[in-house]
Amino acid sequence: MTHGRLSPSLRQRLLFLLAGNFLLLVGIAITMKQGGSFAEVLTRCGPNVAPVVLAGLGMTGIICTGAIDLSIASIIVVSGTVFGILVQRQWPPLLCFVACIGTALLLSAANGLLIRKLRLPAIIITLAGLALYRGVALVLADVSIPGFGGSIDIQRDEYHAPGKQFATLILLGTLGSALIWEWFAVTPRRWLALGSSEESCRLAGLNPHAIRQSAFVVGGLFLGIAAVIYVTQIQFIEPARLALGFELQVIGAVILGGTNIFGGEGSYAGTALGALFLYFTGQWMTYAGVSPYFQEAITGALIIGVIGLDCALHRKRKRMEELA
Amino acid sequence: MSPSLLQLRSVGKSFGSTRAVRALDLDLGAGEVVGLIGENGAGKSTLIKILSGVHTPDSGTISLNGNAVQFSSPHEAMDAGIATIHQELAYCGHLTVAENLLLGEHWPRHAWGGVDWARLHEEAARQLARCQLNISTQKAFSDLTAAQKQEVAIARSLNRNAKLLILDEPTASLTEPEVVRLFAHLERLRSEGVAILYVSHRLDEILKLTNRIVVLRDGELVASYRTAEATVSRMVKDMVGRPLDQVYPRSRSPQKGEPMLELDGVSLAGLFENISLKLHAGEILGLAGLVGAGRSELARAIYGLYPCHAGAMRLKGRPWSPRGADEALAAGLVYLPEERKRHSLVLEHSVRDAISIGFTDRLTRWGMIRVNDERRAVAESMQRYDIRAGSADQPIGTLSGGNQQKAILARWLERKPDVIILDEPTRGVDVGAKAEIHQLIDRLAGSGRAVLLISSDLPEVLGMSDRILVLHHGAVAAEFTGDAMTQENVILAASGLHLARP
Repeated sequence: MTHGRLSPSLRQRLLFLLAGNFLLLVGIAITMKQGGSFAEVLTRCGPNVAPVVLAGLGMTGIICTGAIDLSIASIIVVSGTVFGILVQRQWPPLLCFVACIGTALLLSAANGLLIRKLRLPAIIITLAGLALYRGVALVLADVSIPGFGGSIDIQRDEYHAPGKQFATLILLGTLGSALIWEWFAVTPRRWLALGSSEESCRLAGLNPHAIRQSAFVVGGLFLGIAAVIYVTQIQFIEPARLALGFELQVIGAVILGGTNIFGGEGSYAGTALGALFLYFTGQWMTYAGVSPYFQEAITGALIIGVIGLDCALHRKRKRMEELA
Repeated sequence: MSPSLLQLRSVGKSFGSTRAVRALDLDLGAGEVVGLIGENGAGKSTLIKILSGVHTPDSGTISLNGNAVQFSSPHEAMDAGIATIHQELAYCGHLTVAENLLLGEHWPRHAWGGVDWARLHEEAARQLARCQLNISTQKAFSDLTAAQKQEVAIARSLNRNAKLLILDEPTASLTEPEVVRLFAHLERLRSEGVAILYVSHRLDEILKLTNRIVVLRDGELVASYRTAEATVSRMVKDMVGRPLDQVYPRSRSPQKGEPMLELDGVSLAGLFENISLKLHAGEILGLAGLVGAGRSELARAIYGLYPCHAGAMRLKGRPWSPRGADEALAAGLVYLPEERKRHSLVLEHSVRDAISIGFTDRLTRWGMIRVNDERRAVAESMQRYDIRAGSADQPIGTLSGGNQQKAILARWLERKPDVIILDEPTRGVDVGAKAEIHQLIDRLAGSGRAVLLISSDLPEVLGMSDRILVLHHGAVAAEFTGDAMTQENVILAASGLHLARP
C-alpha cells in the first residue's frame, strides 16, 4: 500500500481472508451436488451478506475508536417497526425507506450523544440500548397498529425493492463509496488516532468526544442502509424476534476482518472480507451436508476461535513492544 | 542572562495536605538551557506538570514574554509555545509518522476535498528535514526506535513554534550514541533561541549540557547557579540538604543469621540485569536507587510476578523459581507494593476485610470463613500493630495513610513470613506513623526475619539498613556498609557516577 496506511498485520489479515474466501468458494464448487448452480451461489451472496457487511462498516468505525455498539440489532428492529407502521399507513415506498434509514441514524447518533454527555463507556450505554430499543419498538408497534398481533405483514412488492432487487447494487455502491471515503477523508484517520491514543488526540487539540461521536453518526448511516435491506427482504416484521444475535454476527465479521477490538486498527475492506468468510463458511457447510444442528455451533466456535486468536496475537505483540 | 522568556513568581501547588511545590520563583531566558535537578519527590514532576498545563497552580503567577498566562490544558500550554517531552511519550502507534507529526493540524486536500496523501507526506518530510531527521514518514510510529520517537516528538513541537522545550528524563531509554545525537540536536535548538528546561537525574548530562542549574528540594527552589560554577558534590549536597537528625531504632543485634534469600546473576530483559545479592535472617538490606532503576521490578520478580530470563534464586537454601504470588506466600515470602492505593487496597472494604484477606485461607472451613475467628484475629492484630480506626467495620480508605500502611503490614505479618520485601513502606505517611513503622521493621529483623527495604527516602534507607545496595539502570552500581553508608555515596551511585564497586 502506497502511504503505509495499512499495517503489516492488517495487510496480512486481508490476504489471509482473500485466500480463505477463495478456498471456501472452491470447496463449495467441489461439494456442490449435481444440479446446483455455482453462478447462483454468487448471485445469492450479495443480498445475503449485504446487511452484515453494511452494518459492519459502521461498526468498524466505532470499534476503531475503541468503542463498541451492542444495540445495532435493536436499532434495526426500531427502524423496521417504523418502516412497517408507515407501510401499513400506505406511505409511498421511498418515504418509508428514508424513514427507516433516518431512524437508525437517529438512534445511533443518540448512542453517541449519550456516551459523550454521560461520559460512560460505550459498552454500558449500548448494552442498555440493546434492551431499551427493542422494547421501544414493541411499544411503538402496539400503540400505532390497531390489533397488533406481534408481527407486521409487508405484502406489496414495491416495498421489497431494496432487499430483493437492488441489494447487491446498494451493497457494491455503498462499499465502493466507503472505501474511497476511508482512503481520502480525515475522519476515519481521526478514529484510528483516537483508538490508538486518546492522550495524543487531546494533546494535539482534538476533541476525543467529538471524534467518538462522529463514528456513531457515520455508523448510523451505514446501519440505516443495512436496516433497509434487512427489513425489505422479509415478509413479516416481528419486533420481538427480528435480527436476534445480529450484533454478534456483525462484530464477528469486523474482528475477523482484522479490526482491533481495543481500537486503533482496522479497515472497511477487512470487514467486508470477514463477513464474506463467515457467509461462505455457512454455505460450504450446507453444501457439504453438515447437519444444520451443528452449523450454528461451528459458526459460533469459529467466531470465538478467530477473536480469541486475534486478541492473543495483539496481546503478544503488545507484550513484545513493552519488552523491546 | 538573556531577556526573560518565562517567569514564575511564588508558584505553589498542594495535593491534599502535601505541599508539592511552594513559593517557587524561576526565570528562563531565550536560548538558555537550564538543568532542573532534585531527589525523587522533590517536586520536579509537579513543576513540569504546572508548566505544561496539566496542573493549575494554587497560587502565584506565570508569565510568558511578559504576559501573564494561565493554562487549563496541555494544549493551551503548547499553543502558548511551551512544549513538553514527557518520559512516556503519547503517540498513535498504529498511525504513520506523518500522521502523528501532523495530528490535529490542517491536512492538505485535493481540489475535490480528499486528503492529498502525497502532499501530506511531503509536508511531514519537510518538517523532519528542518530538524535534520532522516526518518521515513510512511513508517508506523510504533516501529520507530525510542530515540526516533523522541526526535519526532521534538520536531513536532518545534514545528508548532515552541519557544520553551521541557524535557523530562529524555535519555532514560536512549543508548549512548543516541544521547550524543540528542545533545547535538538540543545544542542546535539553543542556538536558534529555543529555551530548554532539562530535567534529569544524570548529573553528568546536566553538567555537559546546561548553562544554569536549579535545584529543588521538598518543593522549594533551594539553589540556582551557573553550570560553570557547579560540581557534582555541590549539586549532590544541594539535592540532599537535610542532615540525618532523625533517630532510627536499632534494637536488633548486629549478628546475621543464615542466608534466607540469594540471587545469583538474575536478569529480566529491559528491567534489570545480572543482579546478585544475599539477604540474611535478622538483617535489613536497603535497596536504593532512582525511580525506574529497577528496584520494584526486582522485588516483583522475587515475589513471582515477573519471570526472570536468566540467573538463579534461592529461598531459605532451596532453589526458588516462583510462578505466582501464591507460591511466594506459601513459601513464607511477602511483598508490600509501593502504590498502596492501587496495588494493596480496595478502599471501600472494611478494615477487617482488608486485614483478614491476607490470611483468610487460615480462617476458613469448608470454604466458609469462620466469622468469629476472623473477628478475633483482626482485633488482635489491630491491637498488636496499633491500627487506629473507629471500628473494624470502617472503610479502610477513611484511615490515615500511616494506619492504612500498618493494616497492610498486619495483613501479611499475620502469616509469620520469613522474608519481607517492603517497597516504599513510609511514602505518604505522617511522621508519627513513620516512626512506628520503623520500629516495627526493626522488631521484625530482631525476631529473625529477613527484610529487603526499598526506599527513595535517603535518611530512612540509611538509618534503617544494615547494608545498602544501590541500583542504577537495572544493575547493581554499588554496595555500602558501615561508614561508607552516606547520602553522598548513595546518591552518586544512584546517578551512575560511582562506577567502581567496592
